[in-house]
Order: sequence, then C-alpha cells, then structure tokens
Amino acid sequence: MRKVLPSSIALALFTASLVTICSPAQAAEVKMIATIERIELKEKSATVTLKDTKSDKHVSVTVNDDLTLDKLRDKRILEGDEIRLKYDDATGVATYFRKTAGC
Amino acid sequence: MKILRLITTLIAGLSLVALVEAKDHQGKDYIQENGYQGPATCEVCHPGTAQAFLGTVHWKHASKVNHVENLDPKQEYGMKNRVYTMCNGNDIVNNLKEIPPSPTTGKTKFTGCNTCHPGNHLQDVGSTGPEAEAAIDCLVCHSTAYDFSQRKPYKDAQGRVAIGQDRSTKAALAIGKPAPKNCMVCHDSAGGGALVKRGFAFTAASDVHAAKSMVCVDCHKAKDHRIPTGYDPNNWAHDGVRISCSDCHSEKPHKDADTNRHTARIACQTCHIPRTGGAFAKDFTHWEQLSDKFYEPTTLRKETNETTPVYAWYNKTVANRPDFIGPKGTRKDVRSKIYPFKIFQGKAYFNKLDGKLLSMDFAPPMATGNTLAGVASAANILGIKNYVPVPGWQTIYFGSNHQVAPKDKALTCYNCHAPNGSLNFQELGYTSKEIKKLTSPETYFNKIAEKMREEW
Ligand code: HEC
Ligand code: HEC
Ligand code: HEC
Ligand code: HEC
Ligand code: HEC
Ligand code: HEC
Ligand code: HEC
Repeated sequence: MRKVLPSSIALALFTASLVTICSPAQAAEVKMIATIERIELKEKSATVTLKDTKSDKHVSVTVNDDLTLDKLRDKRILEGDEIRLKYDDATGVATYFRKTAGC
Repeated sequence: MKILRLITTLIAGLSLVALVEAKDHQGKDYIQENGYQGPATCEVCHPGTAQAFLGTVHWKHASKVNHVENLDPKQEYGMKNRVYTMCNGNDIVNNLKEIPPSPTTGKTKFTGCNTCHPGNHLQDVGSTGPEAEAAIDCLVCHSTAYDFSQRKPYKDAQGRVAIGQDRSTKAALAIGKPAPKNCMVCHDSAGGGALVKRGFAFTAASDVHAAKSMVCVDCHKAKDHRIPTGYDPNNWAHDGVRISCSDCHSEKPHKDADTNRHTARIACQTCHIPRTGGAFAKDFTHWEQLSDKFYEPTTLRKETNETTPVYAWYNKTVANRPDFIGPKGTRKDVRSKIYPFKIFQGKAYFNKLDGKLLSMDFAPPMATGNTLAGVASAANILGIKNYVPVPGWQTIYFGSNHQVAPKDKALTCYNCHAPNGSLNFQELGYTSKEIKKLTSPETYFNKIAEKMREEW
C-alpha cells in the first residue's frame, strides 16, 4: 500500500535540500568555548584573540555587532573572560560572543 | 490619558538618541569643578536621594510579599533569602566570598549572589545609615561612560571582601537616565551566564519597543527609585508599584473587534510574545568542571527565541511549594487570564525530614565539585541542624513579559483555533465539546479568507 510521505519527513527533506543548495555559499560555522587573550578595539569593530579551551589553539575573530562591541568598550567583557563563541571560519567574523559565567 | 502617554513615550523614544548626547546633565559643571565623591556629590542638588534608595528592592533585595502562598506576611522575601532552583543560593548563604583553592590549580576566585547589588559589599544588601548611603553606586545605573571592569570583587587592606565601583569624574560627567546596558549589566547575567535566567534580549531585532529606541525606563519609569514591576510568579520582591502593557496601550487596542474581545481572558503577552528562551534545566547536585578547573552547576539552555512558551491561567497569585513555583488560576476564576510562561526545571537537594528545598553555599562546590559540602555550609549558616539531603526536581514558571514581536508575528486566529494550535485547550479546562468548536476553522474561516483576498 502506498502511503503519503509523513509531513515531518517531507519537511526534513525540504529543509535538507535547502541547506544543500545554500551550503556552497556558506562557510562552516565554528563553535567553541575560549578564553580571551587580547582585545584590540577599532572604530567600528574589534579584533579579539582567544584560546580554545579544548585544543589550546589560538583564534582571532572580528566582532562587529554593536551590542558586543559596546560590552568590549565599557569593559563588561574583559581579557581573561571565558566566551561561548561561534564564528564563520571563512570571514573570521564572530556570530555569537557571550560570556559563559554570570552571577 | 493612555494615547497621550503612548505618544509622549514614542516621541521621547525617537528623540532619545539625540537627546542623551545633546542635553547635558545640569550638574555637569559642578562635578567638573569638584570631582565625584560618591552620592554626597549628587546629594548637593538631589537631597534625600540616597536615603530613599536604601528603602528600595534594588538595595534590600527583599520586600513584604502578599501575593505568594506559604509565606509569612510579616517577613520580607527576595533574592536576599529566597531558596529556589534557578539560584540555589541567595545573598545570605551564598554571600560574596573567596572560595577555597581549587585542588587542581591552587587558584581561588570570588563568588556570591550579592555581586548583583549596587553597594560595595562592606555596605551590603539591606544595610542602612550614612555609611550605606555613601556606598551606593549611583553611576552603575546612571553613567553612560562607566568602566565596568572596576565593578569586581577584591580584598581590601583589612582582608575584607569588597566590590569595586567606577567613581571616576569621567564616569560622573556622563550622567543621564539609565540606558538598557546599565540595567542589563545585572539583569542579563543573572542565573549563571548571559541571558540564562529570563532569557530575554533587548535589541531592535528581538523587541518592537527596542526597535523604536525605547529603553527599559521608558516603561519602568521610577519615582524615588521605586522601579515598577509586574506579576512574574518568580519575581516576589516589589516596591509597591506595578506596570502593565495597558499603562500605555488600551485594553482594546485593535481595529479588529474579534481580537479585542479576546483580551478579556487572554493577556496581551500571550499573543504578542510568542517566543522565549534561556535556561530550561539546571542540576545543582552535579556541577561540571570548566576549563579553568572550577565547577559550575550543569545548565541546559536555549537561545532567547528558541522556546515556545507554555500557557496557563493566572490570577496574579502564586503557588509556592517545594516542588513548584508558578501561577494560580483557573478558567472559572474571572480574575484569571491566559498568560505565557517559560518553564524551568531545577534539580537540587531537598530535606527528607520536612520536604523543604535546601539551599547551597557555592564556595565549596565551585572549588571541588562537592555539592553536599555546599549544602552543609548553607545549613550551618542558617542554623539548620537536622537534615537528610535527597536530590529532587522543582518546576518554576517564569513570566514572559519582554521580546514583544512585530505585530505581524503576533499569534492570530489560526495559530490557536486549530487541533495542533498554540494552546492546549484541554489543559486549560475546556470540555471536549468546546474544544471541538474552538479548534474548528469555523471560528475564523470567513475572516481570514477575506483578509487574504485583501492582501493579494
Ligand atoms: C550642581 C547640581 C547637581 C549635581 C551635583 C548633580 N545633579 Fe543631577 N541634575 C541636576 C539638575 C538641575 C537636573 C535637572 C532637573 C531635575 O531633574 O531635577 C538633574 C537631573 C538629573 C537626572 C535626570 C536626568 C534625565 O535625563 O532625566 C539624573 C538621573 C541625575 N541628575 C543624577 C545625578 C547623579 C547620579 C548625580 C551625582 C553624580 C547628580 N545628578 C549630581 C543637578 C545636579
Ligand atoms: C546592581 C545590579 C542591578 C542593576 C544595575 C539593576 N538591577 Fe534590577 N534587580 C536586581 C536584582 C538583584 C533584583 C532582584 C531583587 C529581588 O527579587 O530580591 C532586581 C529586580 C528588578 C525588578 C523587579 C523588582 C522590582 O524592583 O520591582 C525590576 C523591574 C528591575 N530590577 C528593573 C531594573 C531596571 C529597569 C534597571 C535599570 C535602571 C535595573 N533593574 C538595574 C539587580 C539590578
Ligand atoms: C538600580 C539602578 C539605579 C541606581 C543604583 C540609582 N538610580 Fe537613580 N534612577 C534610576 C531609575 C530607574 C530612575 C528613573 C528614570 C526614569 O523614570 O526616567 C532614576 C532616577 C534618578 C533621578 C531623577 C529624579 C528622580 O528621582 O526620579 C535622579 C536625580 C537619580 N536617579 C539620582 C540617583 C542617585 C544620586 C543615585 C545614588 C545615590 C542613584 N540615582 C542610584 C535607577 C537607579
Ligand atoms: C515596553 C515596555 C517595557 C520595556 C521596554 C521593558 N520592560 Fe520590563 N516589564 C514590562 C512589563 C509590562 C512587565 C511586567 C508585566 C507583567 O507582569 O504583567 C515587566 C517586567 C520586568 C521585570 C520583572 C520580571 C519579569 O520579567 O516579568 C524585570 C526584571 C524587567 N521588566 C526588567 C526590564 C529591563 C532590564 C528592561 C530593559 C532591558 C526592560 N524590563 C524593558 C515592560 C517593559
Ligand atoms: C511605556 C509605554 C509602553 C508600554 C508599557 C508598552 N508599550 Fe507597546 N508600544 C509603545 C509604543 C510607544 C509603541 C510604538 C507605537 C507606534 O509605533 O505607533 C508600542 C508598540 C507596540 C506594538 C506594535 C508593534 C508593531 O509591530 O507595530 C505592540 C504589539 C505592543 N506595543 C505591545 C505591547 C505589549 C504586549 C506590552 C506589554 C508587555 C507593551 N506593548 C507595553 C509603548 C508601550
Ligand atoms: C488573541 C490575540 C491577541 C491578544 C490577546 C492581544 N493582541 Fe494585540 N494584536 C494581535 C494581532 C494578531 C495583531 C495584528 C493585527 C491587528 O492589528 O489587529 C495585534 C496588534 C496589536 C497592536 C498594533 C495595532 C496597530 O493597529 O498597529 C498593538 C499596539 C497591540 N496589538 C497591543 C495589544 C495589547 C496592549 C494587548 C493586551 C491588552 C493585546 N494587544 C492583546 C493579537 C492579540
Ligand atoms: C492566543 C490564542 C487565540 C487567538 C490568537 C485567537 N483566539 Fe479565539 N479564542 C481563544 C480562547 C482561549 C477562546 C475561549 C475564550 C473563553 O474561554 O472565553 C477563544 C474564543 C473564540 C471564539 C468563541 C468560541 C465559542 O464558540 O465560544 C471565537 C469565535 C474566536 N475565539 C475567534 C477568534 C478569531 C476570529 C481570532 C482571530 C482574530 C481568534 N479567535 C484568535 C484563543 C485564541
């Protein structure tokens, strides 16, 4: 007996196809928890160097969203802080940059 | 008048960006000349402000609470002394201190709930008198040039743990009404990390009011530093002033009569705040070790817009039991409306002898991961002698009152009146017969069909 494709699977396939279509244009997103080693503030962006807590590898990312920039400027985020970080490895632009700790 | 308030707020909001920069604080010249000596400087022109501040929730972290069950109406409750599973400690048991050295690294650090207090810890939560007045950090809320790296714990010359403040003249020259970041420095780091506790971001993308350049205090307008709040079941302490959406909007703000009819039983937030986020579960009985070798409670979290709220009747009185903190209310109770909530579940130790939730001093587990040592320390501080700790879960309903979505993203007829709709009509107390009607396109079909014809 033939069954109609369950909508959830149809949706999954559809989404998968979308992702495949888009992926060549998009670089991989890298995710890590990392400690800030250096912050260099510029006019409209900041370059932040961090150390991945798992691999000890150093990465350098560009922060250009206003909210995070503001936090870097008025030192709500500091060198030594641990960050939950996502960035685009082709452009080096951070897409997610948040302190792990809080009170 | 409401319309007037709405328009004034909007105009103020739109011109705010310009105003804050352009209109200088009138005390600026004085401060330039005399420097900033803490609240005493402000008192020259704003007399009585510091003293009044000491009586508010932001200083006391407590107030009398009359809408929550199982409390003593004569006592005060708040972050000072509450025990619940979003923060298993409080200002008393988890008082700011230096933790024991990590057995792995030998390093220590400072931790404590009362870091979210605008004092200097030497003058702590609820302190009074001239020294307390002098210790208030006015600038943390009022300066746009505050150097937040100064606001960190340190040991003073006598070995006492204090919290630093930016008391520079530079910061005092940049005074204005509080900007969102002044509020968010505490409010978005509550509960153990960015946007963990309430999980609301206040950005143009996440909130229509933020998109119109409105700020926290456009809604949370305060007189004598009594900052108004609402009825989030988990926000107990209050200064006796409340805000609601209908302070600015009317109870019937829609052109569409069908939508307006719904506001009698459905809160504005239910349709207008379709998403929430932040932590949804935490385990205080097992802490995980971080890269710096210190431990933190294991926390599961989502992004600010990744959680679909749960909807429940709420009459603004709160159920408060060891296993549950949340809304009371029923369909039959005419004071109840359907509200959206973020559900959080936390695991911690309960006392087998009386069933009560035990609290925790974070210092021991933060150093060693030993959570029972944290419970023992808290019990010792509180003078609890007999207890048998058993792990268990508590469910908490957090109000969802921010992140108002653009109006075209509000829940509309077919989001609710459908078999797989946003509301669980059965749990909300509707009968099968009613549910059949409520989930039928009959309720909205012609209306939506007409709307679609208009749009295309
Ligand atoms: C030499 C007098 C003087 C001093 C000193 C002074 N102010 Fe003011 N301040 C004023 C006047 C005048 C106004 C405008 C009238 C009003 O709102 O009372 C004002 C307004 C304000 C406002 C309202 C701003 C707004 O945009 O709504 C705040 C907040 C404020 N002051 C905070 C402070 C703080 C904090 C200090 C201490 C660092 C301080 N002031 C010191 C004179 C002073
Ligand atoms: C120094 C940290 C800190 C800052 C800065 C701060 N808050 Fe709070 N706020 C708290 C804490 C802690 C509580 C919880 C008090 C309790 O429940 O005992 C709280 C509670 C509240 C509440 C609910 C209780 C009440 O007071 O009615 C509101 C509303 C609120 N804050 C708004 C704001 C706004 C608006 C700002 C910015 C002007 C702000 N807060 C700045 C720490 C802070
Ligand atoms: C927790 C944040 C917070 C702290 C700390 C704080 N304020 Fe305020 N202040 C506010 C808020 C919120 C308003 C009301 C803003 C509004 O309604 O536009 C306000 C308003 C004011 C105003 C305007 C007039 C009034 O009373 O409404 C003055 C002056 C002021 N504050 C001075 C001070 C001084 C002096 C201190 C330190 C003793 C201080 N503030 C500490 C949040 C704070
Ligand atoms: C558009 C108006 C508006 C703005 C802007 C706004 N709030 Fe609120 N807030 C409310 C309302 C309304 C409630 C209470 C609703 C209720 O319980 O019925 C509330 C409640 C709260 C509470 C109590 C807990 C809760 O979530 O219900 C806190 C804390 C709070 N707001 C902080 C803030 C901070 C910090 C900002 C700025 C980042 C802010 N608010 C911006 C309207 C606003
Ligand atoms: C301090 C006043 C104030 C409070 C409180 C307030 N609002 Fe608003 N709201 C405004 C203003 C001003 C606008 C912009 C009006 C405009 O653009 O015409 C607005 C706009 C809106 C819009 C229209 C958004 C759009 O896409 O055009 C919605 C929906 C809304 N508010 C819902 C709420 C809800 C829900 C609450 C309670 C959680 C609330 N508001 C609390 C002042 C307020
Ligand atoms: C049953 C769902 C529902 C409830 C309850 C509800 N709204 Fe709405 N609201 C909507 C929808 C859908 C829209 C967009 C279509 C429209 O304007 O009618 C809207 C639009 C709005 C707008 C924009 C109006 C305009 O013409 O631009 C405002 C402001 C607003 N709502 C405020 C509120 C407030 C305040 C409450 C509580 C008193 C509330 N809403 C309750 C569904 C709801
Ligand atoms: C947030 C979910 C929600 C949205 C959105 C919503 N409704 Fe409702 N509606 C309800 C609930 C709940 C009731 C029952 C209210 C009560 O108990 O009085 C109801 C009742 C009704 C009823 C009365 C049903 C009966 O026979 O008693 C009609 C008709 C209706 N809605 C039509 C609409 C239309 C048309 C829209 C869009 C403009 C709409 N609803 C949007 C939740 C919703």
